[in-house]
Amino acid sequence: MSKKYSIFITVLFCLFIFGFGIALIVSPSRDFSEQENRYLSQFKAPTLSTLRTGEFMEGFEDYVTDQFPLRDGWIRLKALSERALGKQENNSVYFGTDGQTLFAHFTIISRDELAQRVGFVNKLADNVDVPVYFSLVPDKSWAVNLLPDNAPNIDDGSTIEGAMELCGEGVTFIDLRFLLGDWCGNADPRGNNSFYRTDHHWTTMGAYRGYTMLMEGIGLQGTDFGVSYTQVSDSFYGTTYSASGADWIKPDSIYTMIPEGGTRGNITVTRYPEGEPIESTMYHPEKLEVKDKYAYFLGGNQPLCIIKNPDAVGGKLLVIRDSYSDSLAPFLAEEFQEVHLFDLRYNNMSLKQYVADNGIDQVLVLYSANNFNTDKNLFKLGL
Amino acid sequence: MIFSSPYFLFLYFPIVLLLYYISPLKWRNLVLLVVNLIFYGWGEPVYVVIMFLSIAIDYSHGRIVTRCKAKGNDRGARAAVASSVVFNLLLLGFFKYWNFIAGSLAAIGAGFLPVIEKLPLPGGASIPFTLPIGISFYTFQTMSYTIDVYRGDARCQKNIVTFGTFVTLFPQLIAGPIIKYKDLDEQLEHRDHSFEKFASGVQRFTIGACKKVLLANALGPLWDVYLATPGAQLTTLGAWLGIVAFSLQLYFDFSGYSDMAIGLGRMLGFEFLENFNYPYLSKSASEFWRRWHISLGSWFREYLYFPLGGSRVKPARMVFNLLIVWAATGIWHGASWNFLIWGLYWFVWIGLEKLFLGKWLDKAPAWLTHIYGVVIAIVGWAIFAVEDFSAMGPYLAAMFGFGAGALDTDFLYYLRNYLPILVIAIVAATPLAAHTWKKLPERARQAAFPVLMLAGLVFTTAYLVDGTYNPFLYFRF
Repeated sequence: MSKKYSIFITVLFCLFIFGFGIALIVSPSRDFSEQENRYLSQFKAPTLSTLRTGEFMEGFEDYVTDQFPLRDGWIRLKALSERALGKQENNSVYFGTDGQTLFAHFTIISRDELAQRVGFVNKLADNVDVPVYFSLVPDKSWAVNLLPDNAPNIDDGSTIEGAMELCGEGVTFIDLRFLLGDWCGNADPRGNNSFYRTDHHWTTMGAYRGYTMLMEGIGLQGTDFGVSYTQVSDSFYGTTYSASGADWIKPDSIYTMIPEGGTRGNITVTRYPEGEPIESTMYHPEKLEVKDKYAYFLGGNQPLCIIKNPDAVGGKLLVIRDSYSDSLAPFLAEEFQEVHLFDLRYNNMSLKQYVADNGIDQVLVLYSANNFNTDKNLFKLGL
Repeated sequence: MIFSSPYFLFLYFPIVLLLYYISPLKWRNLVLLVVNLIFYGWGEPVYVVIMFLSIAIDYSHGRIVTRCKAKGNDRGARAAVASSVVFNLLLLGFFKYWNFIAGSLAAIGAGFLPVIEKLPLPGGASIPFTLPIGISFYTFQTMSYTIDVYRGDARCQKNIVTFGTFVTLFPQLIAGPIIKYKDLDEQLEHRDHSFEKFASGVQRFTIGACKKVLLANALGPLWDVYLATPGAQLTTLGAWLGIVAFSLQLYFDFSGYSDMAIGLGRMLGFEFLENFNYPYLSKSASEFWRRWHISLGSWFREYLYFPLGGSRVKPARMVFNLLIVWAATGIWHGASWNFLIWGLYWFVWIGLEKLFLGKWLDKAPAWLTHIYGVVIAIVGWAIFAVEDFSAMGPYLAAMFGFGAGALDTDFLYYLRNYLPILVIAIVAATPLAAHTWKKLPERARQAAFPVLMLAGLVFTTAYLVDGTYNPFLYFRF
């Protein structure tokens, strides 16, 4: 290399490292990444104690990575290059074969661990005098047949089949798969619109199908709401999308089938974010303006939410919930005088006590199969 | 700190370059010493004390050895060398092997050594008792200094700043190459800084970063899948796919790190010795170790094997010497029994080659010896990588056909997904690209180089910014 050429290379390299370094320091920090749907690390000044423990250094490393200039562009470049290299996934998200559907990895657990988890549901049934229903929403990877060939880490149906077998006598398992799936040779394409393409949740259509099966399982005549949809958003990018970096994917739409306040307009919603009641609504249009639009349904995760419908005849239903229940709740509210949505992750009240104190008539334990396999709070079912 | 991270590449290193090049020549070692200590203290804020201790002890021992020799006091000089070696080995032994020894003794019912979980600090606080980063590397470097001063192979360094710069030199502090003082002595006092050297450092650093971030990190998750697969579910092809991925990951991880170290060194005016030379081209076990982690092999040869008598002794003694060296090499890689077994595994192959196998290999066709060389390295990595004994047996069994069948659908998925990167990695493990590059006309190279360099840096940055997976395998050692 000649001297001139070496100077050129030296300058090029220094421009690259100094340029981005300076840009990092002078550009203002972002609080939130819309693309990734999470808060970004901020610079925190060091103290003697955070220096000694290394806490400052760890925080600083996160800060640099999170606030790196053009962060979203780098993430996109990586996702594109993974796809160009023939990868069928990025950051543990499968690219669907239609090029538009994303699948998060599904966690399969051992039979022993599943038995322990179902055991907590059985324990709940032993503790209370009312009927206990138990149901698991199959994962999108079970229902939608657009996975890369031979993809591991998917829902093969074994969780639901295993849970069904492991249920004790006091528990009635309700299988939702018939109306949700098109997998395993079932040519019915219903799965395709039962789940969002960019999110792990079921759609309003999926929740409605789930509701139909649940009512049948509980022995109630469900209501036929026909097929009248209202589109409330056409720009929903879910959590699976956020992890994937795959920004070539089109957004999902969010629909509702039940109007605010229910079909008869008498439904009231009360939230208990910190134990005290707060008047609320079934839908939260303000959430459609932010990234996590699924929180449109009931406003997002909360310890307890009670929905009352004075016109209904189905008694009081306690739902042990995860977020899938939020889009199901408007349908349930049509059938039950009270629907109590109880989240074990944020609520430590004794369920036994809660059922007795509130005159609950039936309990529904409803989780997505993946959440059921991974949640760390299921033991509270038996308390 | 690690080189392949945004905060190193875009903040720490530019600041180092700036401070280094605006300082007058005679201050540059001091600048380096300060930034070296920040580099080390970044990951080990408390253990940086070990650096000061190492500098003080080895510096003073070098001085004592020189003074004793000047006075003709050979016994004194030898005692000082012994004291320095003992200090370094105690340092390494305490931090790296204490809990291993204590745990192993307890396992056979002789639990008289307590297992240490926390180290108390003055003032009542305590820190977790972990392995200080790079301790296996820098204790070996400083040990060689006193020995070389005694042997007359190295001069005594009288300037403690210069000596401290050697001990802590950040490009090679935490994962090698293991540099002997005698190889760096001249450069510590007079080194050339030129644009030519800087540009060649840029080239080397970029290659190393790409090897580490684009190849090693890309292959890592594939190995993790197979490491986590329960033994009963491992298939033969799956087990091979996993361990081939690990073999390539480890090579690109470690040789990429060495390339980055050499490149950074050049940008600061240093010239370090090479550490790798296409190890997977080897046709024998002995050749593998002349191509893999060259600085470690040469250290053990020079400071352990030759002093024991090397190969110029009776066959039985030679076998004994090899046993010692390979047991030491194995356990150097980690305080766990599998590393000792891995060392002994190499002892067996190298011993056999020295005794008779080598002569056969010389006559065998090249394709056969290539397969032999690669396969024993890969099988060795299975012993190296699967630390848990209850998993190592099933893994090896699966590799040799005693697993859950030949292949499974997961294997098909992973092969389909990793085939492009595996092919790229296998080609990159040969000198093909380097040969092709050299054959290009000078003008083509000049045109292509900046484009390739920027592409390499851009993709490396993308994978670092969106990097959930970025370990350094040789960090534990």
